[in-house]
Parts: sequence; structure tokens; C-alpha cells
Amino acid sequence: MMQVMDSILTVILIILALLTLVCMIKAVIGPRVGDRIVCVNMMGTMVMTIIAILAIKMKEGYLVDICIIYAMISFLAVVVLCKVYMGVYAARRERIRSKQRKEDVEASANESAESTMSVDGKQGDESKNGTMECSEKEAK
Amino acid sequence: MEMWTNIRIGLGLLVLIIGILFFLLEIIGIIKYKFLLNRMHAAGMGDTMGICLSLFGLMIINGLDFTTAKLFMVILFLWFASPTASHLISRLEAATDEELGRHVRIDIEKEELEK
Amino acid sequence: MGFKQWFDGENDMLLENLHMNRAFEDHIKKEPSVQELKIEDTILMREVYDDSNKALKAFNWIYRVIAVLFCIGLALVLVYTVSNLPEVGNPDTPANSSVVSKRYIENGLEETGATNIVAGMILTYRAFDTFGETNVLFISTCCVMILLMIDEKILHKYKNIGEGKYEPKDDSILQVVAKILVPVIFIFGIYIVLNGQLSPGGGFSGGAILGAGMILYANAFGFQNTQRFFDEKVYKTAKITALCMYGLIGSYFYIMGANGIDNHIPLGTPGAILSGGIILPIDIAVGLEVACTMYAFYALFRRGGL
Repeated sequence: MMQVMDSILTVILIILALLTLVCMIKAVIGPRVGDRIVCVNMMGTMVMTIIAILAIKMKEGYLVDICIIYAMISFLAVVVLCKVYMGVYAARRERIRSKQRKEDVEASANESAESTMSVDGKQGDESKNGTMECSEKEAK
Repeated sequence: MEMWTNIRIGLGLLVLIIGILFFLLEIIGIIKYKFLLNRMHAAGMGDTMGICLSLFGLMIINGLDFTTAKLFMVILFLWFASPTASHLISRLEAATDEELGRHVRIDIEKEELEK
Repeated sequence: MGFKQWFDGENDMLLENLHMNRAFEDHIKKEPSVQELKIEDTILMREVYDDSNKALKAFNWIYRVIAVLFCIGLALVLVYTVSNLPEVGNPDTPANSSVVSKRYIENGLEETGATNIVAGMILTYRAFDTFGETNVLFISTCCVMILLMIDEKILHKYKNIGEGKYEPKDDSILQVVAKILVPVIFIFGIYIVLNGQLSPGGGFSGGAILGAGMILYANAFGFQNTQRFFDEKVYKTAKITALCMYGLIGSYFYIMGANGIDNHIPLGTPGAILSGGIILPIDIAVGLEVACTMYAFYALFRRGGL
């Protein structure tokens, strides 16, 4: 029975290693950021299972300590990465929003200034033309 | 006594193989779906159930020992931590995806989503 | 028909309205800032992956092919090396045949009292090297503090500047889970630190676990709540105490040993927790040092202050 158990555990180890490789390929391809975070978490979980199977097969009890450490570290990685990326995205959007708000305020100020100038009428245009002709003569 | 040990090992191997099947289904789910929220759902459920059943099978194979108690502690830790990771990733997706309206039917107000 | 729809993710028997392919665009109008972001992204992508530049396209293709070949080659070389390693316990391996390692293996247990020969070696026979490593951790946090630290009063005034303002705070699910998991992580870290001489573990790995627990707490509850029990004064006290304790115990050990006087540190029975001579107090000092280092790096890089 022990030989059967050993061979079955070896086959399961090979299958899990191939699944980890597929996960890594998906982490490289995946178009969005969330894809990569999910795949890194999954790879950590599969490596945890591999370590636990090795601990039972070689009858060394202290390898299970490493499993708990892997669980903590991968959970912590997901928490910190999600928080940082949400902050970066919201900051970018806020920067663009404030820039657009400034442009809106300037556009409305320009519109109100143009409307007051057109109310003044021809005097403004004539004075402007006069000054422009003087400056052109000076330049020549 | 030999027979009881063999039955115990056989039962443990069966539970372990069911756990590995969950991992296979999870990988199929990740490759197959088109949207990120579907893939995250497959990954979260497959992860938790797969590792908990696998470690439970290993506990049955090992018998009563200090190693078994440590494996039980790993199961308890992952039972709490893995679904929280899924919650955080879905929150990230809801906050940064611009085309969320095309993928998911949303029944709440627009202002509450953009907070 | 029903099974294929369920398998494709379009229909679910328990929730009736899980149709994936309908577009509900009139629910959410596109904001101009969102469109601006997309335009920025497409401009960046068009500049990086310029399609009219033939040399860039050829370089990209060659780079990807060489990257895949290199990874496969490295994996094959490593597998070949691992399969050629000598068996565990073979008496004529290179590690077993030098005089120094023979002394460690044969007399290690009775001279240090530790069942874990590696811990006994790095903390008794070669404790001076480990002292140097602990010093390196101390100096590195001093350098990072010089470069990145902002005074706490100024940090209070400019609390809402930069990206820290937009991060999500007070996620209630994360807070409940952190309340349950952080004590478990701390107890496990202390278990690893105390078991340095009996099983693989020791000060360095245990300290890393304690630091990870503190980082999780700071993420879930915010820096204000963490500063109630771990602010700059506590950090400085803990670090300097840990380093000085290591220095004092180590120097007592060397001076007594170099002059041939018997140091009255009991070795205990191997296998018990209180054994191993000076290994246990030094493990505690190193664990405290590494935990403070981990948390200080995280806090200084994120926020500019402890």
C-alpha cells in the first residue's frame, strides 16, 4: 500500500507543477492588473499544496511551517497591492479632473470677457487697430 | 489492523484527488472566461476549496500527530484569508474598470459606485 | 441547452438574471476624465509599440524568442544539476571531508547543546559573523531614515497630500479578518523564534513573520491606530536594546572563551526549549531587530514617518 501511495503522490506532484506553469503564463499574458494579482495568489496556493505533500511523503514534520509562512506572505501581498493601485488610479483621475475644471473656468472667463468687449463696440477695435499700426511702423 | 490502515490511506488519497480536481477546474475557468470578475470568482472558490480538501486528505493519511495539528492550523488560516483576497480584488476592479456598465448589470446609483 | 449555457457562464439556475452579454450603457454615462485617461493610455501605447518602426518590431520579436529560450535553458540546467547532487548522508561528499565540518558534525551536539546543527553553528561557533549581519540591518535602517524621514509635526500638517488621500480606508471586512488573524500571526512568529535550536527557524525568519503581522495591522487599521503602541520612541528603544544585548552576551562569551575561563552558561538537555547556551537569548534579540527593520522599511517608504 505504501508503494501505491508513493507513486500516486508523485503523479499528483507532477500535475501540480504543470498547473503552476500554466498560471505563470496567464500572469504574463493577462491584460489587466487584477489578472496578475490573482495568478500570483494562485501560484502561492499551489506551491503550498506541493510543500504539504512533500512533508507527508518524506515524513519530515517541520516543512509544514513553511506552508503557513507562504499563506501569510501571499495574503499580505494581495492586500498591499490592491490598496496601492487603487490609490494611484484615483490620484490620476483627480489630477485630470482638476485640470479639466481649470480649463472650464478659463473658458467661461474668456466667454464673459469677450461678451463685455463686444458691448464696448467700435471704440475698442479702433484703438486696437491704431496701436497695431504704430507697432508695425516701428518694426519696419 | 493492517486493513484499517489501508482503508484510512485509501480514503485520504480519495479526498486528496478530489482536491486536485478542484484545482484543475479552477485553471479551466481562468483560461476560458472573457471578463476579469468571472476569472476572479473561479480563482477564489477553486483556491479555497482545493487546498482545504487537499490538506484534509493529507491529515487523514498521516494519522494523529503534531504535524496534523499544524496542517489544521493552515486550513483555518486559509479559510479566512482566501475569500478576503477575492473581496479586495473585486473592489479594485469595480473602482478602476471604466467599462463596467458593459460587463455587469448594475442596479445601484451612479454616485455610489464612483466613491 | 441549459447545461451549455451554464457552462459558458451565461445562465445560472439559482440566480435567474445573470445574462452577461447585454449592454447597459445608458446606466452609466462616460465621464470626461475617464475618456481622457483612455486617450493618454492609447497615446503611450502607440509611442512604445510604434508599428512603422521596423527595427523596433524586429527587436521586440527577437527579445521575446530569446527570453523564452533562456528560461527553458535555465530550467533544464537547474534540473540537471539537482539530479546530480550527492545523496544525503553519503560519507565522501565534499562537504563531509574537510576538517572543520567534521568537527561541527561530530562534536556539534555536545558542545553547543542544539539539535539543529545549523543554528548551533551560526550562533555559537560563528557568532561574530551573525553580529556583523545584525549590524548591517541596523545601519541600513539608519540610512533609510536619513534619506526619507519627515518630521512628525510637518507630516501632520500635510496629511492629505499625494496618493495617500485617495486610498481606500476602513474596509470593514478586512478589519474583522485582521482582528482574528493578526494574533495568530504573532503567536506563530514567537513560536518560530523560540524554536531556533530545535527545528528549522531561528531569529531571522521569526522576525520576518512578526514584521509581516505588523504590516497587516497597519494596512487594516491605519497608521494612527498603529502609533498608539508602536511609534518612533518604542522603535528606537527596541532596536538599540536588541543590538546592545547581542553585543554584551557575545563579548562575554568570547572573552571568557579566549582566556580559557569557563563561562557558566548552562547547556541544558538537547530537545528542551531552555537549552543551547547562548542561542536562545541571541535568537530573541535578532528576532526583535528584524521585526523592527521590516516594519520601519514599510512605514518609511509609504508615509515618510514611523
